[in-house]
Amino acid sequence: MNLDKWKSQIVRGTLEYCILLMLSKKPCYGYELLQKLEHYPIIASTESTIYPLLRRLLKENYLESVWKDSYEGLPPRKYYSLTLEGKEYLDTLSEEWNRLTETITKLKGEQP
Amino acid sequence: MTMPLEKYLNAVNRHLKPLPISERTDIIKEIEGSILEMEQDGLSRKQIVERLGTPKDLAKAYLADLLAANQKVRPSRILAVCAFYGTVGFSGLFIIPVLGIIAPCFLLFGILSPLAGTVKLIGSSFGLNLPFTRYIIFTFGSATLSPIPAFFASIVLGAALALIGYGAWRLLLLYCRKVGSAKRKWL
Repeated sequence: MNLDKWKSQIVRGTLEYCILLMLSKKPCYGYELLQKLEHYPIIASTESTIYPLLRRLLKENYLESVWKDSYEGLPPRKYYSLTLEGKEYLDTLSEEWNRLTETITKLKGEQP
Repeated sequence: MTMPLEKYLNAVNRHLKPLPISERTDIIKEIEGSILEMEQDGLSRKQIVERLGTPKDLAKAYLADLLAANQKVRPSRILAVCAFYGTVGFSGLFIIPVLGIIAPCFLLFGILSPLAGTVKLIGSSFGLNLPFTRYIIFTFGSATLSPIPAFFASIVLGAALALIGYGAWRLLLLYCRKVGSAKRKWL
């Protein structure tokens, strides 16, 4: 019970970082991001979390999007990619993330 | 729960009403694409709807995120809100009741005065001896006017009262309009 709450808080706090990381490798469309996330149960999410988050990141100018036609009669896909601002933001997040993991490593190794 | 794709998307669109139409179209297009991709991957309609949630919940997820992004409260805005409601509340405390009482009362007496004058005039000129008409008197200083001049005086008085009542009513409307436009301008 408490564990679920803790896990959902972690997801809420890190999903933005995860999405920015994925988009820094290559532009993706929403469904593609969801499928990638599904491989990692700890951050697996649904449309109702990812799409609003993507919209917010667009509004904050960290992402840009473009509609592209796809093949096999599928509808066009909206591809997201990082803007320059988004890349800088991701760098800052990465620094903070490293600081966090370092801290945790140190705390783990600390002698009582 | 299964429903046709079209119906599901329409329902989401309806719940997204607070957003501008261009954004809504974009959102719906993206969800539609996602649904079709899921179908392509072999998910059943039921599984898809389970994953997306009800149209209302899905729309709410969009709205919640956008509302949170827009509502960054600045201290200057809090001050502006306090100043605005302070002024309006304090002035309204006097202006609205005063004008709100003056307007209908003066209009009412503006009608009653000539009415009373007429009743008195008719009663006295035809000698009808109507009940209570002896209580209708028009005094001017210490002089009490006789029914005929009293009738004309009552019309003049009625017109003046009605004019004041009407003026108060217009002022009340003006005040309300000013408050409304000031709110739009400052807040």
